[in-house]
This record gives sequence, C-alpha cells and structure tokens, in this order.
Amino acid sequence: MKKLALPDDILMQIDKPARYIGNEFNSVKKNPADVDIRFAMCFPDVYEVGMSHLGIAILYDMLNRREDTYCERVYSPWPDLHNLMKERNIPLFALESQDAIKNFDFIGMTLQYEMCYTNILQILDLAGVALETKDRENNDPIIIVGGPCATNPEPIADFVDLVYVGEGETSYPALLDLYKKHKASGFDRQAFLREASKIPGIYVPSLYEVTYKESDGTIESFRPKFNDVPATIVRQVVADMDSTTYPTKMLIPFVRAIQDRVVLEIQRGCIRGCRFCQAGMIYRPNREKSVDILKKQAKELLASTGHEEISLSSLSSSDYHALGDLMDFLINDCLSEGVNVSLPSLRIDAFSLDVMSKVQDVRKSSITFAPEAGSQRMRNVINKGLTVDDIIGGATLAFKGGWNKVKFYFMLGLPTETDEDMKAIPRLANEVAAAYYDTVPKEQRQGRCQITISTSFFVPKPFTPFQWAPMYEAGEYLRRAKIVNDEMKAQLNQKSLKYNWHHSDVTVLEGVFARGDRRLCPAILDAYKSGCFFDAWGEYFDFDKWLAAFEKNNISVDFYAYRQRDLDEILPWDFIDCHVTKAFLKKEWENAMNATVTPNCKMMCSGCGAARIGSGVCHNAR
Amino acid sequence: MRVRIRFEKTGIMRYVGHLDLMRFFQKAVKRAGLPIRYSEGFNPHQIMSFASPLGVGLTSEGEYMDIDIKEQVDSKAALETLNANMVEGLEIKSFKYLPDNAEKCMSAVTAASYLVTYKDSKDDACYVDNILELKQKFFDETASINIVKKTKKGERVLDLKPLIYRFNIRVVDNKPVYDLLLSSGSTDNIKPELVVKAFHEFLGLPEFDELSLDIKRTDMFTGESDSFISLGDIGQ
Repeated sequence: MKKLALPDDILMQIDKPARYIGNEFNSVKKNPADVDIRFAMCFPDVYEVGMSHLGIAILYDMLNRREDTYCERVYSPWPDLHNLMKERNIPLFALESQDAIKNFDFIGMTLQYEMCYTNILQILDLAGVALETKDRENNDPIIIVGGPCATNPEPIADFVDLVYVGEGETSYPALLDLYKKHKASGFDRQAFLREASKIPGIYVPSLYEVTYKESDGTIESFRPKFNDVPATIVRQVVADMDSTTYPTKMLIPFVRAIQDRVVLEIQRGCIRGCRFCQAGMIYRPNREKSVDILKKQAKELLASTGHEEISLSSLSSSDYHALGDLMDFLINDCLSEGVNVSLPSLRIDAFSLDVMSKVQDVRKSSITFAPEAGSQRMRNVINKGLTVDDIIGGATLAFKGGWNKVKFYFMLGLPTETDEDMKAIPRLANEVAAAYYDTVPKEQRQGRCQITISTSFFVPKPFTPFQWAPMYEAGEYLRRAKIVNDEMKAQLNQKSLKYNWHHSDVTVLEGVFARGDRRLCPAILDAYKSGCFFDAWGEYFDFDKWLAAFEKNNISVDFYAYRQRDLDEILPWDFIDCHVTKAFLKKEWENAMNATVTPNCKMMCSGCGAARIGSGVCHNAR
Repeated sequence: MRVRIRFEKTGIMRYVGHLDLMRFFQKAVKRAGLPIRYSEGFNPHQIMSFASPLGVGLTSEGEYMDIDIKEQVDSKAALETLNANMVEGLEIKSFKYLPDNAEKCMSAVTAASYLVTYKDSKDDACYVDNILELKQKFFDETASINIVKKTKKGERVLDLKPLIYRFNIRVVDNKPVYDLLLSSGSTDNIKPELVVKAFHEFLGLPEFDELSLDIKRTDMFTGESDSFISLGDIGQ
C-alpha cells in the first residue's frame, strides 16, 4: 500500500482527507531514484482551487515529459491540518510520493492573485524551508514563482530565489538543464542563481538593488548589482500555440475541484484592450489555436479523463475566429455522448444565444453581461466596446429565447467615475427589465424577470493604462455602493432588480500588493507571523492584523494605494518588459482621460509593442 | 440491461468519501468506454446506483454498484478495461449481467458482514481476559440488547439483538477481531461501531472512541436471515 505522510488519526479528524492522499487517476508515478530533479509544483491555495488551474496542469505534464525530472503537486493545507502539522512537526509533503518537499530541488509556486502571498510563506514554513532567500543554504530547494502576479514580484522579492516572468512553456527547459549541470558539479547556490539570471524571463530579486528618493519615497533607481545580470527582464511568450505543449491527460481529483471538467484553452491573449485589465495587456498578442488541433485535443481529453463536461478557456471566446465551427463540433460529437458543453462568458448575440439554447436549460440558466461600467462615458474611459444598444439588444434576444434571468458585472471606483456614472448602473439594469416587460407578453411571463447587478471595486494593476490611477479608501467604496443601491431603489422596475457588492477592506490590501515594492516584504512576513493566511478566504481575512503589520513596518497604505502616481515615476515593475510599451500605456491613459475609444487588435494595430513577438493577431491578415 | 459490479475499496482509498467515489466511477465508466445508459432531460446522468455508502475510514472487500448499459459487452473484457481505469485501492472483482427481474442493489441489500478490530494497541481497554465468555453473556444468552439511538427527532430505544445476525469474536495476536453480520439497508441499517460500542458499554469500559476501530466490510447480502445470498452471487 502507498505510504501516506499523514497518520490515520489526523486524516480522520480533518476536513476532506482525500485532498492530501494523492493517488488521483492520471497522476504521474515515477521512482524518485531515477530522476535528477525533483520539482514540487504548488498552487498556494486549497486543493479544490489549485487542482482547477490549467497552467499547473500544463506545466505538470510538460515537466514530467522530461525523463530526468519528477514534478509533483502541493497545495496549501487547510487551517485545520495546518495547525496539526505545526503541532506535531509534520513537514509539508508532495502528493505523489508523500515525501517532504524540503528535500526537493525546486519548489515552484504560481501567483494567481495577490491575496495568496501569505500562503507562500505558509508553504515555506510548513515545508521547513527558510522564509527568506538570504537565509537559504546550498541544500535548500530553489524557490521559484510565476503566474500573473510575477509581473510585479517585488512585494515578495525577499521570499523567492527566482521569478519566472512569462509563460512557463518557454524557459523551463533551459533552467532545468542549467540546474542539472550545476548539481552535477558541486552545487553552489549563488553561482546557480547568477547564471539563471541570464536565462530569458528569469528574474533573481536578490541580484538587484533599489534606492528610494528621500523626498517622496518613490524609487530613485533600480539596477542589477553586477554587470553580467540583465537590467531588463523580458516576459516570455509562446509564439506558436499549435505546436506548444498541451496535456493529453488531466488529473481526476477525488474531491470535487472547482473545475470538474475538461478545460480547453482555445487562445491566449485578448484583442480588446480594456484599460483596467491586466490579462488583456500582459498576454498580448492574441494567439489563437487552430480549430483542428482543438477538436483533436477535445476528443483526446474527454477520452482520457472521462469528464462529462467540457469548457472553453480564453479571455474572450466570442473573438475566437472559428467559434461556430468548434461549437458545432462539440455539440454534435460530444453532447450525444452525454457530455455537457459549458459556455464561458460569451458576448450575447444571436449566435451565442442559439448555442446556449442547445446546451443549457433555458428556464434555469441566466445570461451574463460584463459591461463593467454603467454609463457610455465610463465604458469609453475603460475602452469596453459595448454600447447600450448591444446590451438591450442582447437581453431582448435572450428574453425572446425564453430566458428571464440576467446577471450584470460592474466595477466601482474606476478613474474619473462620478456619481452620475454610478447611478447609470441601476438605470441600465432598469432599462433591461423594461425591455423584458416590453418583449414578453403578460401571458407568457413566469413571474418577474430577475436582473442581478454585482459590483466589485476596481484595483489598478501594473502594465495597464490605469497603473498610475489612485484608489479610494474602504469607506469611499462603500459610499459608492450605497449610491448604486439607493438609485436602484428609485427605479420603476426595482422589484426585478437585485444588487450585490463586495467587501472593500480586502480590495485596499489587494491594491497595496498589486503595485507594491520590496519594502512590503517585512510587513507580509509580520502579518504571516501574526496569523494571517488564506487571506483570499473571507472567514480568515483579518484586516486589523494587516494594519498592525503595516504600522510596525512604516508602510503607508496611502502611498501604495491612494496616491495618484506621476507618469514619469519609476514604478517597481518597470524593469520588466511585457512587450506592451510604457509609451503605449501612457497614450492609453490619456485616451482614457479623454474618454476616447481605441479600436481592437483585429480592427487595426494601435502599436502597443507586442508585434515584436512576431506572431498572433499582429501578423495575421486583418 | 443491468450489470452488477462488485469491487474492493482498500488501503488509502478509505479516505475517499462516498460522493467522491461515485464521481470517480462515473468518469471511470466513461474512460472505459462502456455503453452506459443516461437518464433523459437537460442534465442527463448515468444510470448507476450503489448498494450502500461506505463511510470515510472504512475499507471493503464487498462493494456493489449496478449500472444500465445500452448494449451487451463481453464481461471479461469490460472487467479488464474497468480495472485499467482504477487507482490503487480500487479493484473490480466481478461484472455480471442481472436477470430482468432482479432488484436493484440499493433496495435489495438486507445485511452486511464486517470484520472489526482495533487499529493500535493504544486502546488497551479492549483486552479483557475473559472476553469470549463475556461475549456469550452479551449476545448469545440475552434476549435483547437495548441501546439509545439518537435520531433527528430525539432519542429512541432500539433493540439491537434481532438486527445482529452474527456476533463472533476471535482473538488474533491478543487483539479481539469481531466477525459481524448486521442488518443493513434502508430500514434498519446498523453500523458496526454501534454494536461494538454497545459491547464496550456492557463490558463497562471507559470512553469509546469509534476512530480506534479498523472496520472492513466483507460483503453485502439480500434475502431473509435464514437464507442470505451475497449480492455478488446474483446474475452471471
């Protein structure tokens, strides 16, 4: 029988013990003695969340294709187990072999959201690895992080040895080869890190020094400590999505994951250029997979997993060039075999409604719009190319098709937002409700329509045109939510409207981390030591502990979150080249201030800089 | 046509709960390419039912599920492809076609057999010298074994005696091993830990910790107490 790292009495008292036993179908079994490199790939959140992540599935498959490498998985132990592991000194282990990861060569972690930063420390702490890079020795694992937040890794610079900036498919082979070479000839940690810094996309925070202006605390200089360390890190991007590695199998967790289905990535990047959206900028250029490859991958993955549902993954599926062809294939070939097709957020038009009516129970499902802003002026500011006519027209079509539930997503606190813009949100929802009563005759209605408005608070992100924008204090966000709520109550169709909004404390913290610098590291360390982790989970988030950690380390929330940054300020992430140029972002910031819309990449090239990569939409015939 | 599948759930699979196991089998059946029948409607689901859920922490040599398939497949080949889609701790033992009039395993089950022992030697309280004699008094020589059972509505007194069809103890390596055959199914489902707890109380032992028990279900049966038939002996 397979050995387990946790004793029976622990497994029997914790929630969902199957999170920690491995043994999932399609998980990779290798003899650790047969490999040179042991890699612990970690998603620093609970199992069900981490197991749903496509990026890790791709890297797990890719790394295990190497004969010299055994990549295993690690997720954050839930607080119930965390406490027991601390109490009994059980070191954190990898799921496949159940071996302690302290003895691995690499611990890799993905940074999908800022609120996971304390969970990185939890992983290191439970693993028994020094929390700070400066305290690690030759036989400690190399701590490497990647993912979207690696586009500004500075707030965790002290904790990690390497940062992988970009898409994992490209530079890992070179990095692992280099590691193997160093390991074979008497491993010296510093020598390895120094060499690794020369691999494209690999950033070694400890090899850079930052100075700050005494006057205002902004960055004065950011430069490598040595001449042979590159001053700029170029984000790595897969050029050809058809020939890049993609798993033919995916793991089947016992505990139901958030994504309990085949996830098929149809394209990377987005042509839209919404100005608040980091993914829309950093994953440029938009690169599509060919439809034939997708059909083949869909078939293969359904067969190897036995999943009864398939979902398409991309930032904007409606923009995929052969969506009709692909959906026809999925509906004709897969629905008949008992496989559901779940639809990602599609633009609502006649085509998508037709597809949705084939795969969903119209009476039960709802139609989702993400206008992000209520007024046309505000939508122009954020470059969301969606008009009132699009929304009312789409909703009317949906009502005719039998739907009576509509969900709307909006953001509050966007740059230049006025009270009028906020009030436009419920007014838009009211118009949609009115369209329902105009469209559907009384005798065909099944009660009222349900229009649900959800707002989140806008957080400015690096490498977006809004990276300079100020945020608001938590109370101001709630004031804005109240304006929306009050205005909703003044609407004629208010009984058909429902409004949900988010908590605002966590938004402020997210804002601090998103645009933070390495001076935040001690505060994050102190917050963890005072008991903060699983901050992304409302029940564990403790804002007061964070404020105490900030105070202790002289961190001003005002400086990081509420301040309007100068366009010429050196930003903590300026040393990363995400292909999209700063000049373009500045131009887009100005366009935003003038409420000017920039056409999408398929309409015309606006010269963002991503064309340098030499593939994708920039080079396709328009 | 309906198929009855017998399988084992052992080793580390004891930590996987019933709902998770069901989802595992739904996918395994798809991977194996069995022509399973689906229900009608917008959310079709596989026609698959399990005899009796096995609690987390328990192992079993005799678990059953019934599935409906659209066309006949070779039993031996189906057993092999299903086993190729299992993981360590799950093994398909038989794949049998049921007669048309066969009752579904879930409603058919009336009894289940268990082997129960203690996980570690830490629970010294169970090593009573004359345990076999005391067992005679507790079970064989008594007319009723009344326990208080907590239900949603409150508490009620339940007589275990008619629901325990076999209560034997062997002493292996100085540890008692209980060999139990208990009423099971939708009406009087008696968990083995309940019986052992009652015995502990009879012995006057302090605090009973059900997590100290290692419980293995060995088989499930249908029929009356004088003529139990293993669910796995039905069909071919």
